[in-house]
Amino acid sequence: MSARARQRDREIIDRYTDQPPRLPVELRAELERSFHGKPVQLYALVDLDPSLKLVEGWLALGPDQLAIARRKDSGWAVDRIDRARIRSVRETPGLTCHLLSFLGAPDEPPLAQVRYTHRQRRAVDVIRTVLEQAGSAQDGSADDLYADAIAAPIREAQALVAGSDTAIILRLLGYLRPYRRQVAIGMGAAVLVTVLSLVPAWLAGFLIDRVARPSADGKPAGKIAGDIALICVGAIAAAYLLRSLFTFVRLRFMAYLGEYVARDLRTEIYEHLQTLSVSFFSRKKTGSLITRVTSDTDRLWEFLAFGVVDVSLSLVMLLGIGAVLISLDWRLGLVMTLPVPLLCAGIFLHGKRLERFFLRAWRQWSRLTDVVSDTIPGIRVVKAFHQEDSERARFAARNAAATDQFNQIHVVWTRFWPALMFSIHCLTVAVWFFALPRLLGSTSPALSAGTFVSFLLYATMFVNPIEVIGQMARTMNRATSSAHRIFEVLDTEPEITMAAEPISLEPVRGRVTFDQVSFGYEPGRLVLKNLSFDVTPGEMIGLVGKSGGGKTTIANLIARFYDPTAGTVRIDGVDLRDVELGGYRRQVGMVLQDPYLFHGTIADNIRYGLPDAPIGDVIAAAITANAHDFVCRLPHGYDTVVGERGHTLSGGERQRISIARALLHDPRVLILDEATSSVDTETERAIEEAIHRLIAGRTVFAIAHRLSTLRRATRLFVIEDGKLSESGSHADLMGNVTSTYRRLVELQREVQHAV
Amino acid sequence: MTVPQPSLEPLRLERRPDGRLAAGRGGALTPVRPVRCFPWSGPTAFISLRDDGDREVALVVDPAHLDADSRALLEEELAHAGFVLRVARIRAIDDELEIRVWRVDTQQGARTFQTARDEWPRPLPNGGLLLRDVAGDLYLIPPTAELEPASRQLLWPFTD
Repeated sequence: MSARARQRDREIIDRYTDQPPRLPVELRAELERSFHGKPVQLYALVDLDPSLKLVEGWLALGPDQLAIARRKDSGWAVDRIDRARIRSVRETPGLTCHLLSFLGAPDEPPLAQVRYTHRQRRAVDVIRTVLEQAGSAQDGSADDLYADAIAAPIREAQALVAGSDTAIILRLLGYLRPYRRQVAIGMGAAVLVTVLSLVPAWLAGFLIDRVARPSADGKPAGKIAGDIALICVGAIAAAYLLRSLFTFVRLRFMAYLGEYVARDLRTEIYEHLQTLSVSFFSRKKTGSLITRVTSDTDRLWEFLAFGVVDVSLSLVMLLGIGAVLISLDWRLGLVMTLPVPLLCAGIFLHGKRLERFFLRAWRQWSRLTDVVSDTIPGIRVVKAFHQEDSERARFAARNAAATDQFNQIHVVWTRFWPALMFSIHCLTVAVWFFALPRLLGSTSPALSAGTFVSFLLYATMFVNPIEVIGQMARTMNRATSSAHRIFEVLDTEPEITMAAEPISLEPVRGRVTFDQVSFGYEPGRLVLKNLSFDVTPGEMIGLVGKSGGGKTTIANLIARFYDPTAGTVRIDGVDLRDVELGGYRRQVGMVLQDPYLFHGTIADNIRYGLPDAPIGDVIAAAITANAHDFVCRLPHGYDTVVGERGHTLSGGERQRISIARALLHDPRVLILDEATSSVDTETERAIEEAIHRLIAGRTVFAIAHRLSTLRRATRLFVIEDGKLSESGSHADLMGNVTSTYRRLVELQREVQHAV
Repeated sequence: MTVPQPSLEPLRLERRPDGRLAAGRGGALTPVRPVRCFPWSGPTAFISLRDDGDREVALVVDPAHLDADSRALLEEELAHAGFVLRVARIRAIDDELEIRVWRVDTQQGARTFQTARDEWPRPLPNGGLLLRDVAGDLYLIPPTAELEPASRQLLWPFTD
């Protein structure tokens, strides 16, 4: 675990739970004194007392003792049990409260019991596992294991928490660095657009005060006045023209820029995804990862191309107009500018208020979509039970409820915006109110008509930037949440790392050794327990046992999708962690229960991983895999497009394509995971034939539900509860009357006879 | 429809010396844990007693039919098995990235927890709401009428 991950876990606990981020220092010292100076190996919070009130209690494990501490007055009440006395540990699960009993001799009351909520369960489980296996603690310090166990569910739901929104925006803006030139040009153009927007209104005032009115008094003379007026009008036209030109420059440069940054982010996130371990993908929903690469990067394009510029320029614009107004006439200027912060605040508060209405509407909306996503896939059931009318009524009710909610939103915003416009117009009226007496000369200082006209023109320019700034919080929120989701992926470190000087195994001979291997997908829940075996090159091993017993996990460890929690997996005598992974994986083949075909032709799919394989080899592999025949029956033969939106192949057909793919790959170690379990008997025979040809001369691990498919195995491993309970040939195991394997075979025969 | 009762012997529950609840008819008793079949729509009836392999040892259709001692034991055990945190007051609900943070006072003490943003509270037949946090703990919110106004106001977006 990296220092950053540890730090992040502590921050999550601090920010999101009301429990301590570690064992209190004074309690730890007290416990270690009572453990005769030996360290606390593991600990967990036990947060419910016997009356089911939330309390702070701790369960701590030392090398020889287990301690249970409860807050008492200003100190701690500690009970200690010798670990040697604990014969077993029993967890009684509940909806929210779990009870852990430490048991001594049978039929005696429990030595101790603790109660805790689900949140503490992972941490308690780690202690339970160590006690049950009478082993020592896992790798990692007690503090880290505890913090990881508590923070994990929140971390997985939210991911990256470290870093404020400002930090995220700054990091995002860092992606603009390679495009400094474009940023400078785009922003420069945008500033010029803003400055040029201020020119026409000022010129209008100038024309009236310095040209039109003096000209009416004959100074300057008509001809000169006409020339000056013409120059002014030309200047106004030039300002508009230049403004359009700079708008074009700004839009073009920033739009391109946003696109480049979105492209860079997409590439970075996709490349990073390819380096991540299988465990990451099993934790995250596929849909959410796809969204990050597609919609989130698109949303950031919008933010970088327009959001950043709009927000910053609106600020410049407001400040610019304010400054011009005050410089023209500070009294009227203040009338116009002082209420602006209030208006911005009003828009912000309105947004906040709307959020609650939106939340309510989204809830109704999701209830509505639930009905659709429920009934469309289940339409056959709806029709078979003749429930069309009740489904129609259910939909209508939810449709009406959603519409009501959206109408409530419309009530709120349709009231607000006219009110806001009215407030801005009130400002204009206020300008009239204060300006008129001065215009008419009844109060001093006098105000010129030109200044007044400029004022009115500037007033109309106020509306847009106020709106943008009022909605700034929402723009920033949307961008930070997208950026957050992207950075979460980018900040995830691959769990499978390559050794500094990896050993290249080419070719792999195929000896596979498990040396006291333990493994759990979650801390505290071991799927494989101290598993040891040695398989010589060319052997076929059948893995047998109940589902969930750990068979697929063995396959996952052989392919190094995961590293063992304890112990070593060796290939040809070399620790798999030291082996160069790319070269090794090229020599491992997998045929899975539900083979995955990519979008592309059948030939491309067979050649996946070996794109340069000659077409003759592709056909040879397809013939050996019993696939050639059905492929040739398809109208487009090997050029048939399969996969998403392509031609639909049956399970058995896809399976044979995947066997052809594995054959072409010519792996030294082959894993068959329930390769024939989802097909009919005839197809199964065809696949079995293909597999028989496939396994020759390779080390094979085959997992099969139907034991008859494992007849050819050199040895069978019966895996029960993560341990190797039996091993031997089919004949050996059948010869043993008490063998689990024999019982399973007989059970399957009975079922077949019954059919 | 009546639920079949295969044995004529009355069902008996006992607390074993090791603290476990055990159930059976007549002879030897099996250690069991009770599970409510309808925890929210009918918590008082249909209690399934399950052994360590999670197989049903007996189905208690109505605890009133048990003898007094057995019933008391069952209720004691159910209080534990069916325990959820009961929200008394809501202090804050904040939407953050991907998660919603709830700060509440429960009858058991103060608690801060998180739910996924797209996970809505589940309405219960009694008008209350059930929430499941990211760690898996359950929280029961009483019908809104029983909450004080500030909590009701905070909960408004989540109620009909």
